[in-house]
Amino acid sequence: MAEHGGLALRYLFLIGWMAICVLPVIVMLLGSLKDSSLFQSIPQLLSLDGFTWANYERSFSQGNYLHFLRNSMIISFSALFVVLVVCTPMAYGITKLVSPRARNAIVFSVLSTRFLPYVVLALPMYLFFARVGLTGTLVGVVLAHLAMQMPFIVWLMLGFFAGIPTEVEEAAVIDGASPFGVFWRICLPMVLPGLNAAAILAFIISYNEFLFAFFLAGYDAQPLTVGITRFVGGADVGAQYGVVAAYGTLIILPIIVFALVVNRYIVSGLTQGAVKG
Amino acid sequence: MSSRRHFNPWAFILPGVIAGGVVLGVPVVQAFWISLHRLRMYRMHDQVFVGLDNYARLLQDPLFHLSVRSTLVFSVGCTILSVIAGLAVASVMSTRGIRGTSAARFFMAFYLVPFVATQVVVGMMGRLYVWEPEYGLVNFVLGLFGADGPMWLISQDTAMWATIVTNAWRLTPLAVLIFYAALATVPEELLESAEVDGAGGWRALALIKLPLIRYHIGFVALIQLTSAFREFDTVFALTGGGPGRTTNVLSLLVYNEGISNSDMGVANAISFTMLIIVSILSLVYMRVARLGDLGN
Repeated sequence: MAEHGGLALRYLFLIGWMAICVLPVIVMLLGSLKDSSLFQSIPQLLSLDGFTWANYERSFSQGNYLHFLRNSMIISFSALFVVLVVCTPMAYGITKLVSPRARNAIVFSVLSTRFLPYVVLALPMYLFFARVGLTGTLVGVVLAHLAMQMPFIVWLMLGFFAGIPTEVEEAAVIDGASPFGVFWRICLPMVLPGLNAAAILAFIISYNEFLFAFFLAGYDAQPLTVGITRFVGGADVGAQYGVVAAYGTLIILPIIVFALVVNRYIVSGLTQGAVKG
Repeated sequence: MSSRRHFNPWAFILPGVIAGGVVLGVPVVQAFWISLHRLRMYRMHDQVFVGLDNYARLLQDPLFHLSVRSTLVFSVGCTILSVIAGLAVASVMSTRGIRGTSAARFFMAFYLVPFVATQVVVGMMGRLYVWEPEYGLVNFVLGLFGADGPMWLISQDTAMWATIVTNAWRLTPLAVLIFYAALATVPEELLESAEVDGAGGWRALALIKLPLIRYHIGFVALIQLTSAFREFDTVFALTGGGPGRTTNVLSLLVYNEGISNSDMGVANAISFTMLIIVSILSLVYMRVARLGDLGN
């Protein structure tokens, strides 16, 4: 096929898009290393004038970064564990439904809950958790994350399970494997890449989540996303742009580096289910 | 097949259905139930059934109308922008000489950055380092071309645009990934024969590739539309709904009414209206785009 424009031009376009993706993060990173009392222009950010670690020191000391990081980790890992335990068998079972009507009905309900506005869930949860004393607990936030993630993770795992040839399972059944044995010893290992993708995406989504944590977590259970908004809104920090940048960098950079390392799982997870054949 | 008789798939599905019912079903029903009451936080014992009063009040509330309008502008804007950007990037990535190379894999890894970037941080980053009129990245780049950029988030005329672009930035990676994977399924022979007939380059893209992946375009547009419709994090951190109320999308209005104003009845009425709007939008959309058989 005759291509649009020369190879060099196309590379230029792709590099331009890469710049759009990463430049804002780089500018913030540079800003975090500067004396925070004033805004700095882009050329000033590139110079070494006013270099300081002070913004990071304040993020750790006054911003209590480690406290919120701990909450973020507990929430994200628990959420990913609960989500996988609930959603993986469910997706497997759905692919084994013989009646197309039952399968369509349940797939449709999974898909439609994927579009649910989160505030619809967050307000009643807020009231309910207040009533049963779960407000400000990590358990409440994890349950909310289960609600938020279920439709997407079931959807994702459906695609991976559907890719297993039935002959493999039938052979295992003939060899005397129990239904659970087929699932646990035959199918689960075959969808291991899918499980990895689901776990990674579930972790990233939970780590980044703000709305539910904001509504449901009191101070003790706040993750980083809520921690930063409370911290930079505080009177003693005020308009300290460098501190905001440092705190933001401390939140965003680990997850970006992690994503770059495991990028092929993210790619396979996000394209699964949307693209067949 | 005979031993299949002992296998009931519902044994695997049921725990998930129950969990989903508890964490998804119960709150949705509750949201509707609360929306029929007058219920103010800190005065929870004083719960009075008022029927559809909260909805009637909303219909007459200009702030609600404003929010509905800005939410629709915001979600449609984000959808169009991210789908077009996604198609452009994925098309170039799919061209011969780039697809499948290690350079393509390198680019794709970095194209994920907006997708994995924490939304509240993206909002703050946008406010302080991207859209800031004097020192921000956007006006700096515009300045390189001799243009004087607008006030962006500070001005009521431009704040919505900046908010849409920020959120579309975050949504585009998903579109790039799905379109890139979808374009790989276009048979090479088809393109070669089209080329022989003189339809290469742009024409092949418009006449062959895009029609072949229309199903994926429809699917991505639906995902983007619904996820922009419920967006809270990015807008909250970027503009907080301002300036004035120009970017006060429905999710933020729910927060204003329910948490700040502690009027739970009205807040739930708004959020339930969102649910109705998004259901209608996606049902109509799935009909029109023939996405009804998704997942089969």
